[in-house]
Amino acid sequence: MLHALKAAALAAIAGLALTQAAAAAEQGFTDSEITVGEINPYTGPPALLGVAHAQGVKLAFAEANAEGGINGRKIKLITEDDGYVPSRTLQAVRKFADVDKVFALMGVSGAAQSTAALPLIEKTGLPTIISVAPMPVQWTPPRKNIFVLGQAYEEGVRQLINYLADKNPGKKWALVTQDDDYGLAVRDGFQAAAKEKKLNVVFTSTYKKGQTDFSSEMLRLKESGAEMFMAGGIISENVAMMKELEKLNVKPVTGIFWPGRIEALLKLIGPASDGLYAVDYVEPLASPAGKAFVDKAKTLLGDEAKGINRYTEVGYAAGRLLVDAIKRCGKDLTRACTIAELEKTKDLATGVMAPISFGPGNRFSSQVVKIMRANHGDLSFVPVD
Amino acid sequence: MSFLIDLTVSGLAIGALYGLIAMGFAVIYKATGLVNFAQGEMTMIVAYLAWTIATTLTGNVFVVVAGAVIGAAVLGLAIERIVMRPMLGEPLFAGVMVTVALAVILRSSITFIWDAYPHALDLGVGRDVLRAGGLSLRGAQVAAIVTLLGLLAGFYVFFRFSKFGIAMRAVAADDRAALLMGVSAARIHALAWAASSVIAGIGGVLFAMVYDLSPAMFALGLKGFPATILGGLDSVLGSGVAGLIIGVTENLAGGYLTPGMKDIAGFLMIIVVLMVRPFGLFGEREIVRV
Repeated sequence: MLHALKAAALAAIAGLALTQAAAAAEQGFTDSEITVGEINPYTGPPALLGVAHAQGVKLAFAEANAEGGINGRKIKLITEDDGYVPSRTLQAVRKFADVDKVFALMGVSGAAQSTAALPLIEKTGLPTIISVAPMPVQWTPPRKNIFVLGQAYEEGVRQLINYLADKNPGKKWALVTQDDDYGLAVRDGFQAAAKEKKLNVVFTSTYKKGQTDFSSEMLRLKESGAEMFMAGGIISENVAMMKELEKLNVKPVTGIFWPGRIEALLKLIGPASDGLYAVDYVEPLASPAGKAFVDKAKTLLGDEAKGINRYTEVGYAAGRLLVDAIKRCGKDLTRACTIAELEKTKDLATGVMAPISFGPGNRFSSQVVKIMRANHGDLSFVPVD
Repeated sequence: MSFLIDLTVSGLAIGALYGLIAMGFAVIYKATGLVNFAQGEMTMIVAYLAWTIATTLTGNVFVVVAGAVIGAAVLGLAIERIVMRPMLGEPLFAGVMVTVALAVILRSSITFIWDAYPHALDLGVGRDVLRAGGLSLRGAQVAAIVTLLGLLAGFYVFFRFSKFGIAMRAVAADDRAALLMGVSAARIHALAWAASSVIAGIGGVLFAMVYDLSPAMFALGLKGFPATILGGLDSVLGSGVAGLIIGVTENLAGGYLTPGMKDIAGFLMIIVVLMVRPFGLFGEREIVRV
């Protein structure tokens, strides 16, 4: 009798849990609204990418809402600030899944933050688009509900260095990188190209994240006689390095990487920024596609469009990707359907990067990169041939 | 040889900025016995104030500097009156924790009030490169060295000959005895917070002229604090000089040793010095009667 009662109680609990799991699986929307969560840093220095990315997602959602919503439902973005701290990223994922009960997840912060959150995101089953800091670990092995948009840091740097090496054969090279996972990715990409092109690397150095004074590093670079330089900082660090080189009257051909490829950088560096090389997979804002994007942002976001940068374009592409998948699910929206439709995405044109595609077992939309050159005159980046 | 001279001169330039911030730490410690962990954040706020004046009112360097000095003094006085004075009489540790909380609040206020973008503080002067005898420095770097030397001289005179300076030393030595002698500890504390904010604020403005403004600028406090420890927490002049020592040491380590040594060279030196002189290079040995 006691056993029968226990079994009945367990069955009841199991049934309740299953019901709740099923209900949770289909939460995050009503007949009139879909709620999507984004995790990024919105305070501190990395807010530069988080705020801009959220603007892009909001723009994609505003565009969908202006057309009457997705199958009659308006789409809304709520955000959680992780302050660029992995433990807070995990907290934010839990909050979105258990408290806010969002339908899907966007962002998801930097490389270390999203990597730390991968197992938890996979467990929640939330359709997730990672677009801020793509790293191979996010799509290898592929996870059912996690889709990555962009290009691997290592590959981007490798292509930039290969391009510069081809254009400037037989030169001496220097590399300065940050002492974290970002710096490691830049270094790996550089070393892959150095091996491929047999580069003569005469100076390498690392710096601690947040360093502002690069006088000793740039003096050593000058002493080494380097003629080519990969500045592996993000924004402030690259500005400081370039200004230090200007002070020392040294002018190596310099490459920078996409996290720091924002137009404001050119203004901060000043005339010494003219001719800087960069690599990216999103359109420069000065290109016809970039200008059209800026106009769209001004129309739909108004004052919020102030300070948009490449991350706004990335966020917009990610937002469009999600909207497109949800739309194809029709009225009977489910997370499983959204994941299936994300997987079926083929050649989705967003106007800000190459068409986006995924497929069975493929959770990475590998974007084609472009090499660009800075023009200080109009503070723009222009793709090179 | 020119490599060594280049490293030393640029070390002095960055060290002068560390020294200004270190003096800010020491002024508050000397008057109140507190380590202000919001020093770097106060430095950053003053630099942002200067940038706001330069971009919204006028770019005239004198007006901007005057505005920044007044703004810094008001900031220091406001923090002392609103946040620190209610902590008088509370355990010292509680006061230190309040400055930690203040640091977090001030740090976050940057993205709330301004934004996360780096900005150039361009006042028309200070950003040009000055070259002489094979050496090159930006105008604001030269100004930082000159300002530090000027303040060191000024503080020497202030502590030795001015009524307020002597009162500040008296409060630092024994606030109860100073009170009995008619010295207002509250006024001295307020003056110390204002002076500290102004000194560090000047450092912040000069730093922003050379390296630009960004929400990461608060980390300057982490550079200034070791200089205060090295110079002696209670030695305003020693802290300023120690800033120069740390700047040069960091640069020499960065120039001749492996990259990671640049960050830790200053701290290694502090460990060695504190083992020999626990009260810092210029600090006063505390004598306890038993």
